Amino acid sequence: MTKPDLKDDSNDERSKGTADGGRLPRLRKRFDYHRLGLYAVLLGIVAFYLAPIEAGLVTSLKTRTGVIETLPMSPPIYGEFSTASWIAAFDTLSRGLLNSALYAVPATVISAFIGSVAAYGLTQANWKRRYKATFLALFVAGIFIPYQAVLVPVTRFWSNYAQIEGLLTPLWLLGVDRDYTDLVELMITSIAYGIPICTILFRSYYKNMNIEMIEAARLDGASLRRIYRRIVLPLSTPMFAVVLIYQFTQIWNDLLFALVLIQSTSSDAAPAVLILSGLGVSQEGMNFSLQMAGALITALPTIAVYVMFSEEFSEGLAT
Amino acid sequence: MAELELDSITKVFHDGDEEIVAVDDVSLTIEDGEFLVVVGPSGCGKSTTLRMVAGLESITSGAIRLGDDVINDVKSQDRDIAMVFQSYALYPHMTVQENMSFGLEESTGLSDDEIGARVEETASTMGIGDLLERRPDELSGGQQQRVALGRSIVRDPEVFLMDEPLSNLDAKLRAQMRTELQRLQEELDVTTMYVTHDQTEAMTMGDRIAILNEGELQQISSPLECYHAPANRFVADFIGEPGMNFFDVDREGDELVSELFTYPLSDWMVDDLGDTSELVFGIRPEDVSLVDVASAEHDFEAVVEVVEPMGDENTVHLHFAGHPDSSIVASVGGLQNVSQGEELAAHIPEEAIHLFDRQTGKVLHNRRLDSEEAVDATL
Repeated sequence: MTKPDLKDDSNDERSKGTADGGRLPRLRKRFDYHRLGLYAVLLGIVAFYLAPIEAGLVTSLKTRTGVIETLPMSPPIYGEFSTASWIAAFDTLSRGLLNSALYAVPATVISAFIGSVAAYGLTQANWKRRYKATFLALFVAGIFIPYQAVLVPVTRFWSNYAQIEGLLTPLWLLGVDRDYTDLVELMITSIAYGIPICTILFRSYYKNMNIEMIEAARLDGASLRRIYRRIVLPLSTPMFAVVLIYQFTQIWNDLLFALVLIQSTSSDAAPAVLILSGLGVSQEGMNFSLQMAGALITALPTIAVYVMFSEEFSEGLAT
Repeated sequence: MAELELDSITKVFHDGDEEIVAVDDVSLTIEDGEFLVVVGPSGCGKSTTLRMVAGLESITSGAIRLGDDVINDVKSQDRDIAMVFQSYALYPHMTVQENMSFGLEESTGLSDDEIGARVEETASTMGIGDLLERRPDELSGGQQQRVALGRSIVRDPEVFLMDEPLSNLDAKLRAQMRTELQRLQEELDVTTMYVTHDQTEAMTMGDRIAILNEGELQQISSPLECYHAPANRFVADFIGEPGMNFFDVDREGDELVSELFTYPLSDWMVDDLGDTSELVFGIRPEDVSLVDVASAEHDFEAVVEVVEPMGDENTVHLHFAGHPDSSIVASVGGLQNVSQGEELAAHIPEEAIHLFDRQTGKVLHNRRLDSEEAVDATL
C-alpha cells in the first residue's frame, strides 16, 4: 500500500522540478551555499561556547597525570579516566551546597515577592504620580549601585550597627552553629540588593496589565490587597519565573558578598561558591580536575532551576 | 435601586501647568430605574463623567448623590455600582463561574451555596449557563460580552454603568445585544447610565439621552425631542444621519437671505426670532423633497451631484443651481428616480426648518410637528 504512494510522490516531485525549468535549480544552489555558510557559523558559535564546558567536563574525569599529559579538550584516555575528583568535590562541597540553598532559595523568593508587591504599588495603586516617579527613580538608581562600592559599608553595617546574633538566640539554643549569623546577614543583604531589579522587572509587566480589569475588580468590591492576592498575583506567574531564575542565578553565583560577610572558607556556614574558590589549591599545585568537578557541581542547581521554569520563562520573556 | 444625581460636577486635569477641563459643571438626575444614555463625540468628557460616578476618577468640584447620600468620598469598592467596560475586563485566569462569583465574594457575606445559586440563575437568564466552566479566552466576543454583563447583573447593584459596551461587537451582534440590553434593563429596573458615541444606540436604547460636547451638557431629554427639538446647533448636527443641512443666513425683514437663496418667512415665524438677524438655517435631509420644477416660493433650483441608493431611501447630494460649491443633502424615497446631473428643485417646507443664533448656537425656532398631541405622545 505504501510503495505505490511513495512512487507517486517521487514522480510528482520530478515532474515539478522539470516543469519549473532551469531557474529553480540555480536558485536552489545559491540557497544551499547560503544555508551552508549559516550552519558553519552557527556551529562555530556553538563550539566556541561549549568548548570551555567540554574542557571542564573531560578534565574533571581525568586523573592528575591525565590532566598533565593530555590536551585540556581531549577526552580521558584509557587508564586515566577517574571519577575520584567528582566524589572528592562533592564531599567537600556538599556542606556548601546546603548552605547556599539555605540562603539563596529564601532570598530569591523573598526579593521576588517584595519586588512584585512594590511594582504593584508603583503601577496599579492609586497615589500621586509625582511620588511614584520619585520611588521609581530610587529603584532604578538601586540597580546601578556597583557591589564593590558597598562592600565596606555593608560589612560595617553588619558588624557595628546591626548585630543580629542576639536576635537569633532561639536558633543557637536549637544547636545551630553561631557561624550561621553570617549566612542570615548574607541572605538579608542579597534580598536588599535584589529588590530594585525585581521591582523594575515586575513593573514593566504590571504596566501592560489591563487597567480596566483592575478597575472592574475595584468596582466588584475588592480592596487593594485583595486585588493583588486574587488578580495580580495569579496573573504574574510568567514574570515570577523570569525573576526567580534571574535572581536565583545571581544570588547563588555571587561571590563578593559571600567573601566579605562569611568569616572564612572553613566556616560552618560557608556557601558553595566560597568553598569552590579555595577548592583544589594546595602546596603541591593546582588540582584542575577537582576544580572542574567542583565548578560543574556548583553550577548544577542553577541549570536545574532553568529547566524547571523554562516554559514560564519563555512566556514571561515574550510579554 | 436609587436615583443618581450629578450636581454641577467638574473635572479638571492638570498637564504640567496646563489645566484641561474635561467635564464642565454638568448637572443631571437619573431617575430610579431610568436608562440614561450619555452621548457625544470622542473627548467630550462622557467617559470621564462615568468614571467619576464609578469612583475611578476624583471629582474636582460638585457632588454626586446616590439616593440621599453624597458619594464623592466613598471608595469605588464601597459604592455598590457595577460597571461594564468596553474591553469587557474579564479576569483571564478565572472561569466564567469564578468571574461572576468574584464580586459577590468580595462585596457580600453570602455563603458559597447562595453565591453559586445566584451565579447559575443569572448565567441561565443571560444564556451562558453552559459556559460556566470555560475561561474568557475560550469564548467568542459576544459570549465575553454576555459574561461581562452577567458579572455586573449578578451583583444586583444600585446603579449600572456601561462604557461603550457594544463597540467591540460586529454590526449584527451589536443590534441584537442592543435589544437584549434594553429588555434586560427594563426587566431588572436598575438605574442605568450608558455611555456611547454611537447615535443609533443613543436614539434607540435610552429613556432619555444626555448630549455632551467639550465637557458641557448640551441637552438632556427624550431621544425624539433631541431629534426634533434640539436645544442648539451642536445637538441638531450630532443627532441624525445623514446630518442636518446648515446655511448661514441673514434676516432682512421677513426674508432670510444668503448668497445661495432667499427664503421668505411667514408671520408666525418672524415672531420667534426676536431681533436676532445673524442666523443659521437648518433643515433635515428627509424634510427636503425633490420636485421637477421650482413652482412655489420655498422651491429652489438644484443640480444632483451624487445619489447614494440605500434601498429604502436614496441619499441625494445636490448643489444650488449656479453655486457649484454649495451643498445640500436630501433623503428621498427609494423608489423616486433621481439621476446624477439632473436639474430639479428642492422644496424646503417652512414647517420643517430650524433656526439658530449664529453667535451662540442656541435654537431660536424648532420645526413644527404636524400635531402637538402627536408630539406629546412621542416625547
